[in-house]
Amino acid sequence: MHAQVGDELVIVGHRVGEPKRVGQILEVRGADGGPPYLVNWDESGRRTLLFPGPDCTIKHLGDAEEGST
Amino acid sequence: MRVRDMTWRAPVTIVADATISAAAGLLAEQGVGALVVVDDEVPIGIVTDRDIVVRGIAKGVPCDGRIDSLMSTGVIALDADEEVEELFGVFARYAVRRVPIVEGAAVVGVVTLDDAMVSTVGTLSDVVGTLAAQIAFPFARDEPPTPVVIENP
Repeated sequence: MHAQVGDELVIVGHRVGEPKRVGQILEVRGADGGPPYLVNWDESGRRTLLFPGPDCTIKHLGDAEEGST
Repeated sequence: MRVRDMTWRAPVTIVADATISAAAGLLAEQGVGALVVVDDEVPIGIVTDRDIVVRGIAKGVPCDGRIDSLMSTGVIALDADEEVEELFGVFARYAVRRVPIVEGAAVVGVVTLDDAMVSTVGTLSDVVGTLAAQIAFPFARDEPPTPVVIENP
């Protein structure tokens, strides 16, 4: 998984009715755009350092969606 | 106190395509309750002994199945330089009991809720002592409180 600052990170819900979580990547701490990412979550405004799982996708700025790991 | 000061346990990792049986063996061998699941050395999830029991054995998942089928996806981590208050915030907000600690992009340890409690017990006893004093003497001040006299009607 590769990302850059400003990309949108989306985690889909695992159960029916569970909302997806959307956040903006503020920092990319891994080499070559790799994780962990410092993410600011839209719904809470909180920041989390995250190693995304396979259920996560990254939407690049003004670009199409990138597949998960 | 910073979280690095309570990070004395190195992370125990397992590759995503390892078997459930291998993961259980590693848990036993290393004496830990959780493994960081990695893909190409990058964490992608955490699996606990409880996950193996509840999501695996209880549902009849064969022991030669992949461990990543039982893991919790995504790993919420914390920078080693963060204060312990932030660690307790992560425990509370995300209902997790283990938080990987990172320096840069590398996971350098895993702090459990138990670790955090043990590390902060001194601070906690100070707080409890202060609280106990306030409960026992709620009106403590420089001057002793004026006694309240209740006269018989």
